[in-house]
Amino acid sequence: MSALQERQELLHHIRDAVVDYDEEVTVELCSNAIQVGLDAYDVVANGLALGMEEVGQLYEQKEYFVPEVLMCSDAFYAGLQHLKPHIRSDAATGSGQVIIGTVEGDVHDIGKNLVKLMLEAAGFVVHDLGKDVPLDKFVQEQQRTGADIIALSALMTTSMLAIPVVIEKMRAVNPNVKILIGGAPVSQESVDLYGADGYAETAARAVDEARRLLDLPYQE
Amino acid sequence: MHTGNTPTVADRLVRLIHGEAPERVPFVPFILGFCAKDAGYPVSVTYEDAEKSFYTQLHTAEKYGFDGTPLYFYASYGAWEFGGEVKMPQSQWEQATMITQHPAESPEAVEALELPPVGATGSVPLALAFSRYQAEHQLPVIGAPQVGVFTAAGNISGVSKLARWLIKQPETAHTLLRKATDHLVDTVGLWVEHFDPAQVLPFIGEPTASNQIISPQQFETFVLPYQRELHEKILDMGINSIVCHICGDQTANLPHWQQIPFSRDGFPGLLSFDHRVDLQQAIDLFGADNIITGNVEPRMIQDGSPDEVYHLCVEKITIGKTAPRGYVLMSGCEVPVQAPPDNIRAMVQAIEDHGYYR
Repeated sequence: MSALQERQELLHHIRDAVVDYDEEVTVELCSNAIQVGLDAYDVVANGLALGMEEVGQLYEQKEYFVPEVLMCSDAFYAGLQHLKPHIRSDAATGSGQVIIGTVEGDVHDIGKNLVKLMLEAAGFVVHDLGKDVPLDKFVQEQQRTGADIIALSALMTTSMLAIPVVIEKMRAVNPNVKILIGGAPVSQESVDLYGADGYAETAARAVDEARRLLDLPYQE
Repeated sequence: MHTGNTPTVADRLVRLIHGEAPERVPFVPFILGFCAKDAGYPVSVTYEDAEKSFYTQLHTAEKYGFDGTPLYFYASYGAWEFGGEVKMPQSQWEQATMITQHPAESPEAVEALELPPVGATGSVPLALAFSRYQAEHQLPVIGAPQVGVFTAAGNISGVSKLARWLIKQPETAHTLLRKATDHLVDTVGLWVEHFDPAQVLPFIGEPTASNQIISPQQFETFVLPYQRELHEKILDMGINSIVCHICGDQTANLPHWQQIPFSRDGFPGLLSFDHRVDLQQAIDLFGADNIITGNVEPRMIQDGSPDEVYHLCVEKITIGKTAPRGYVLMSGCEVPVQAPPDNIRAMVQAIEDHGYYR
């Protein structure tokens, strides 16, 4: 088997291990990949990340639901954790930075965590502020990090009303930052109503929407 | 349930439950924190002060002219009751009680979890006190268990943990669901001890089993057996009807919900649907035996204009009036706390203009 074939086969198995939410096998294969000399970033981008991309598609198609996606995320992060020390410092992704959080007054974070996962798998650098995040903190973190996108999540119709407040605060400081919104009560109509830039109904679509906002290629 | 000559805010609803056709569709909005705010109280009184919670709901129904009926309910039920911690809503962005500490976040903790003493923990004493006001005012005693088995279990462990256990450690999920079921049955028993079972309408909200979280196959394995057992045991206590809010998008779960009883002895159950479920489909699947309630999108009640809300309600009323056992106009989930009062008035206007059976 040529080195190229070996690489392709290994990456294919890593992708499958993520999709099969097999954490142990994912780590084992990532370890093998490093041992045979594959570039760690290549393994992340073309193994783990492609696995999560497929998971996103399965979620969209209602083949996978939250339990499966959470299990896949465990496999993805376990593999990523193993590979991180081997990633070269010049292997930047160039996809952009995102600040993400569930707005103040809301402690629901499953959807937010899935969006974070999908964005990270797609190469975005994500700063996760967690849940019940004070509104000013989004602005402060954007100022500190220079992030391109703020992703706001709300599950309640009451906390949803905090979204336009964050947007107003952010626009006052930096009108060029893109605002992506999501969560059960939020809809495409909310984008215009609240002055956001994008909306994603599902975690998988959040990646496409983030790419659109930053004029990045639709799919790598 | 009061069926005397003195009309209450719940009169139309009660008549519908007893098989009498009311002159118009009842309008029961599913409105909690809004009432406290509208009366000038903090939203937290809805959950921590039974007296204020009851009277703000009653007075709001009278003020706006809808059909009641006061209800004590919060979707985070289970965490506080099993020894976890919750936070009452404080800021303007908070709608309801939030869980700050789950009581059993590991398989070991689930194994060690003991059923709480019935009626002594969390919100149960408050809900019981609330039901005393309902009974005093001859209103339906809509009370425990508040949530379905899967939601209670998710609140005890945290939904992410429970979701993983469905795949990774199903025995832990089953252990937790077993304990949640037993607790919910015990709690409904408390209502039967204190009130006439014929007056009691157990309220069950089930958001966590929605297809936004789990698959219909997971529902079949992890929700259906426990939820069916809960309903069967409730009905065996002499209770005639169960009120069930099937929250979120549960379209793919509906065939499973059809296998769960909601009433006995010819009484109808009351099934409330989220706006994501097609109302006509709900009527077709459940309308022969149940009163169908719903399903105006809460976001529209919050963000829509009065005109938009009015027309949305007319659309629902037109479909709902075809339900054979009756229909109740309701929000698809709790009316947003900050909803513009004019939108509530628009809902009342829609029911007055189009709700009459002629």
